[in-house]
Formats: sequence, C-alpha cells, structure tokens
Amino acid sequence: MPGKNWTTQKAALAERIEAGGRYATGKLVQPGDLGEFFEAVLRAGDRVCLEGDNQKQADLLAQALAELNPARVHGLHMVQSGIVLPEHLDMFEKGIAKRLDYSYSGPQSARIARMLFSGKIELGAVHTYLELFARYFIDLTPNVALIAAVSADRDGNLYTGPNTEDTPTVVEATSYKSGLVVAQVGEIVERVPRVDIPGDLVHFVVPAGKPFFVEPLFTRDPAAITETQILTAMLAIKGIYAPYNVRRLNHGIGFNTAAIELLLPTYGEQLGLRGQVCTHFALNPHPSLIPAIEAGWVEQIHCFGSEVGMEDYIAARPDVFFTGPDGSLRSNRAFCQTAGLYACDMFIGSTLQIDLAGNSSTVTTNRVAGFGGAPNMGSDPHGRRHPSAPWLQAGKEADDTTPPLLRRGRKLVVQIGESFGAKNEPLFVERLDALSLAEKLNLELAPVMVYADDVTHIVTEEGIANLLLCRDKDEHEQAIRGVAGYTEIGRQRDRKMVERLRTRGVIQRPEDLGIDPLDADRNMLAARSMKDLMTASGGLYQPPSRFRNW
Amino acid sequence: MSQATTKTQRRVSWFEATARQRLAALLDPGSFTEFLGPAAREISPHLALFSLPAQFDDGIVIGKAKLRGHEVFAAAQEGRFMGGAFGEVHGAKLVGLLRAAKAASRDAVLLLDTGGVRLQEANAGELAISEIIRAIVDLRTGGHSVIGLIGGRAGCFGGGGIIAGCCTRLIVSEPGRISVSGPEVIETNRGVEEFDSQDRALVWRTMGGKHRYLTGGADCFVDDDTAAFRAAAIENLAGRTPLTVSVLEAEQARLKARLRRFGTAKDGSEVWQALGVTNPASVPGMDTEEFLNAVRAVRESADDAR
Repeated sequence: MPGKNWTTQKAALAERIEAGGRYATGKLVQPGDLGEFFEAVLRAGDRVCLEGDNQKQADLLAQALAELNPARVHGLHMVQSGIVLPEHLDMFEKGIAKRLDYSYSGPQSARIARMLFSGKIELGAVHTYLELFARYFIDLTPNVALIAAVSADRDGNLYTGPNTEDTPTVVEATSYKSGLVVAQVGEIVERVPRVDIPGDLVHFVVPAGKPFFVEPLFTRDPAAITETQILTAMLAIKGIYAPYNVRRLNHGIGFNTAAIELLLPTYGEQLGLRGQVCTHFALNPHPSLIPAIEAGWVEQIHCFGSEVGMEDYIAARPDVFFTGPDGSLRSNRAFCQTAGLYACDMFIGSTLQIDLAGNSSTVTTNRVAGFGGAPNMGSDPHGRRHPSAPWLQAGKEADDTTPPLLRRGRKLVVQIGESFGAKNEPLFVERLDALSLAEKLNLELAPVMVYADDVTHIVTEEGIANLLLCRDKDEHEQAIRGVAGYTEIGRQRDRKMVERLRTRGVIQRPEDLGIDPLDADRNMLAARSMKDLMTASGGLYQPPSRFRNW
Repeated sequence: MSQATTKTQRRVSWFEATARQRLAALLDPGSFTEFLGPAAREISPHLALFSLPAQFDDGIVIGKAKLRGHEVFAAAQEGRFMGGAFGEVHGAKLVGLLRAAKAASRDAVLLLDTGGVRLQEANAGELAISEIIRAIVDLRTGGHSVIGLIGGRAGCFGGGGIIAGCCTRLIVSEPGRISVSGPEVIETNRGVEEFDSQDRALVWRTMGGKHRYLTGGADCFVDDDTAAFRAAAIENLAGRTPLTVSVLEAEQARLKARLRRFGTAKDGSEVWQALGVTNPASVPGMDTEEFLNAVRAVRESADDAR
C-alpha cells in the first residue's frame, strides 16, 4: 500500500513518552504526580492492563487510576487478570473504565455481579488466566500496562522478587507492540538483585515507598481440616494417586487437597508411595506441602506465584523450587499454567456444585468469582502428544476399542469434596446456579469451572466414582448419584445399578479400598497447626499474622 | 521424616483432644466416675426451639476421679459443641459438681473450653455463671483449691473468663486464650482500629496463653500436651491457700499497680517490654522451655488471689 504510514503505533508511543516525561525525572514519576501523569499518557478508550491477579496487586497505580477525573480520562477498556481491589470496580463506577475482559474476581464477586447486572460494566468475557494471556498477543494487546515490582534501578530494570507472576507476560505483550509500560516499585536501588524485566521495556517507574500488596491465598490452616476431609484425602491417595502412579500434578486450593498434602508423609508413607507419586508439581508454594517436602517426597515444584511467608523456606530449598541467581523464587504464571496444562497428568480440586452430568462450578446466583486457572488445569489438553503411564491408563479406561497406537491418553481431572459442603449446602445439584446467573446477566455461556467431559473422577466421603469407566449416559449419571451421599441427588439413585457399577469398580467404597473411615483421624496429619508447619520448616516459614495462634 | 513431624505425632495435643479425651489423659486411668452421663440424657430444654441439635451431656462432662491417688471433682467443657457455651443444663451440672465437691471436702479441676454463655439460653446461662462463681468462692473459702486448665479451641471467654478469674490457680498453654470480651466482640463494639479480630497474632498477644502467663493472668504455662497438663495439675493441687480478705486486698493492689504500669500500652509486646523481657518481639516464636527461661524472673504473679 503506497503512502501508508506503517509506524503510527511507534509514533503514538513516542508522544505518550514525551507527554509523561513532563512529570518525570528520567524515568521516575513521584506518586504525588500520578494524577497529572496518567492524564498525560492515557487516551480515552485505551486498552489498559492493570496488573493484579489472585495474589499480587499494582495497588498504588490502581488507587491513582481510580481517582482520575472521568472528564479527562474515560471509557478505558481494562484487560486484566484480576478484579480484586475495590478500586478495580470504582473506576467503572465513575466511568473512567467502561469495558472489561478479565479472569478472576474472588473478593469482588458480589459487587461485580451487581455492576454487571446494572450495566455499569460492558463485559467482553471471563477467561482463564492462560486464555487472557493468549489474547494479549492476538486481539487484546494493551496500549498501556501498569505493573508492579519489588525494586528498580534508575534505568528501569525491574526486580519482581518471588511474586513475578504475570509481569513478564504483560510486559512482553505491551512493550513489544509499542505500548507504554509503567511500573510501581517498592524502592529504587543502585543495582537490582536480578533483572526480571529489562529496563528498555519499561518507560516509567513510580517509587511507591512500600511493597505492593500480596494476598496469602494459598495458606490453609491445618487446624481447620476436618476428619471427613481426611477421609476423602485417604480415598484419593489410595484409590487414585496409587493405582495411576500420579507423579506430575497440580493441586487445587481447598482444604481437601491440603489434607492430601499433609497425609503424604504419614498415610502415603505407610502405603509405600514415596517416590512413586507426587514427585513433580505445578503449584504455588503451599505451606501445607512443607512436611512432604521435608520428608523427601517432592523433587520439583514450578510456581504461578509465591506465598506470603514462604520466601525464606523457598530460598533455602533451591533443589525443589525455581530460584534466581539472587536466591529467591522465580514464579511465572503463564509458564506454570502451560506446565499445568501439558506436563501434568492430574488436576485435583474441590468445587461448590456438581450437576448430574458432572459439570462443576464455583458460582452462586449472586456472585461472579471468575475462573483463575482451575479450568485450564482441570481440562484435558487435546494438543498433548507425549505419553506417560497415568495418561495412557486413563485413556485406555475411557476407550477400550480404539487400537492403542491411535488412542489418545486422558488427563486425570478429579473433583473432591464432601457431599454436603460449607454451610451444609449440597455439593450435588440438579441444575448449576451458574445457569441462573447466565440467564440473569444474559451471558452467552454459563460460567462452568470444569466441564463434564473433562472430569474423570469424583471423590466424596462415600467413595470414588470413576467416570472413565462409564459406557453410557445412564451409567455416568448413576455413578455420580452413587457417591452423592444423602443429598437429594444421592437419595434418588438406582440402587441396583449403583451396586452393579460397584462390582465393576466404577464406584469404589472406602471398604472396597481397605479404608476404615474410623481411621480418618486428625492425628494422621503431618502437621495439625500453623505452628507445626513453621516447626517442620525449621523456622524458615514465617506465617502471616492472621494465621498465627501464638 | 523430620524430627518435628515425629514429635508432633508422639505428643497428645490438649488443643486437639475432646473433653472426654482430656479427662482420660488428665486423671488416673480408670478412676473417673461420671455424674449425669450421656445415658441420663439431660439435654438442653431450649435448643430444640431454635432447631438446633442437642447433646446428651449438654457439652460438659462432670464426675469424680483420682489425680495421683487423691480424689478430686472434675468437669470438662466440650468446645466442639456450641463452642463450649454455658446453657441451663450445662451450667447446672457445673454448679452441682462444685457444691458436691464442697460437701465431700474435695478439690476441683475445671477443664475450661468456652466462648461464654449460649445466646439461645442467655438468662439461664448468666444465672448459672453467678451460681458457679458463688460455688467456687465457697469451695475456696473452705480451704479447697479450684484449678482451671485452659488450652482448648474455644479459649475461655465471657462468663468463662470471669470463672477463670475466680480459680485458685490457672494452667494455660500457648493456644489457650483467656478474656471476657472476645476479639470479635471488641471489634464490633469499638471498631477495627481499636482491635482487628482477624489479626490472630494480635489476638494472641492480647489474650493468649503466653501473655496471660506474663501478666499473672495464669500461674502456670505448659506445652500443648495432655501429659504436661496432668503434671501441672498435680503440682498446683499440692499447695493450698484459702481465700481470705487479705488475699483479695493484695490482688486488688496488684491490679491497680498493673493498670498504672501498663495502662498506656497499645500492644501486648509493649507490656512485655515494660516488664523487662529482653527482645519482646521474639516471645511468640519461642518454644515452652525457651519462653519460661526468658520470662520466669520478670513475669507478674497473681499471689494466689486472681
């Protein structure tokens, strides 16, 4: 195309840098000047990525953004991992932002639902983390990225510390496509401990004077683990981990999987499983995994993010964790999500609702919590080509007719929970609340966390349902009813069919696995309190204040 | 397996144990005779009105037993049932036990694990608290000891905190908490700026076992271990000081002095500093032996009055 200008984006970036430079000394912008600075560099309708996920937050930049005058800056299209801070929604309330594409909204789930319903937010879509990252490179590339780091030098080289998380992905997508990158940092230093983000990709740096906010989302107090959760954990270990030899996996965030982690050095050891299962994880540094790590179970863990209080412990265990030359953890959400998708043979996690088909969701009618990473972990990747024992075995159980050389393997996707969950709400339902929510908000898709065709096993205190072995829709439904306990779904089971499924091993009761429910005792936990976890770490793990009872 | 993990498994945690498991571990084996046990089905007459489940012992186990050969009367609250809270039957059982101890001229041990009075039967519960206080004072003025043991999940709050204040001696472990108003109550009434009930480390610095031991709010600090509680109970039953007016006056003077000395402190750690603890910030992280060595010389003592 003769005459076409091919460098409009570079020119626009240069304009933004020049405009912002009026409020900067070198690359440094003082927090007090953020309002005028943002007015200078932001344009109405810009696509903006404000860094923040379920863990770290660019909190100072979020506050400054939410305080802008909507007459000057408005109609922004936010493309960000998390809607977590109140400011993330305040900017929609005020009209500074209009359109939203995001992934996770746990703490703001009720308010975001109200705002979606009242039309304050124009919703693009709710994504998994990896999906949103993918779209940063295709059709949701940010014009401006507002990110967070631990420290910076005067050239803008950034040290992100243990909570690197989304930063490299966001910067890659923004800076290399002529977008503007602004970083808030805890402090300016002469020389950063390691360069996580090269300075030439970073245009402005704001010394916040304090560390960015991080939520300790993956800390589970062992004192709160119930004996029913211990029983489900025993069932999972003996009935799934052992027979499939699951060595590479991801654990969800709930107490059921925390119980599994704390049973490895006790119950798992009794079963002789050390070295046979749970050797490689795509996982945040769960404090509840400390006893298993110390007992020599775990060879390697790659992390999405860090966990508050685990920094010194991780730094002292570089054989297990990925650490930088400075000694601290290097996390990376995009890589870890990819690892969880392609290099893990199992995902196991708890959920709030499972329907008769096996679809599960953590949505209730008035809350939109978003997805985070679970749907990605809890899905069977069709692009996978490398074999492994659990993957091949699951594939064989699902399909015994296709010749082995042409048969796909299957990822094990396990839902674990008690038949009645928190507040005695039934885990099993006729119809997911997610459907009512989708109708109420006119969504094109109900927010389903894990789709029925991906789920391979359901574990409750009543037993394990192996859905791979079900040959038709009826069997599938009765297998789910067969472990649904005294919920309405469970009580409406076809008893004869459930017994037939049991003889085929589709349903396994605790006694079928040689497990006595009375053995499910808290004394089995390798740590029963936060202090036990701290002691097990040799004092390296420093639990946050809110988790201490000392 | 690490040493810490094996250690955790050998110890029987008081915090984790049920009321019945605590009694079994505390008292001489096989010596316990329960009064009004579950078979008697003396359940709360009120809970059904609120569609709440009842328990056959109403959340408290009472009876007589031997503690290293000496007969004692014992009561244990079950913190897992309604947070160990006092209701009509629960309270009446404890009043009856204390009166029976007086009639039999025996000491009493109270395994307290309670959030206070049950809201669903508040009047009966509050009345029971006063009757319990009266019965403890009667027992003590008669020259007998009432030993309180605190280290359960529910802590010792509300009326339970006042009862604890009336005991001859209190034995506490690190997870144990003693107070009248609980963290959430303080936050609700005075705001989160006054007291953040979510900040558990702050809660423990304010009402936890170590702090209470340091300020004389408890007399004996033990590991979270049933054997340690037993040893401490035996030791504390040995010495007896009857409750007299002069003992109470001494305690009143001590409390006045305490208010003068620490009244402006904003945090437990400031109190510890004022007491003369070297490096108060390290107190929460210390294990029992380290802690006792560090504070024994500087802690306040309650002069057997409370």
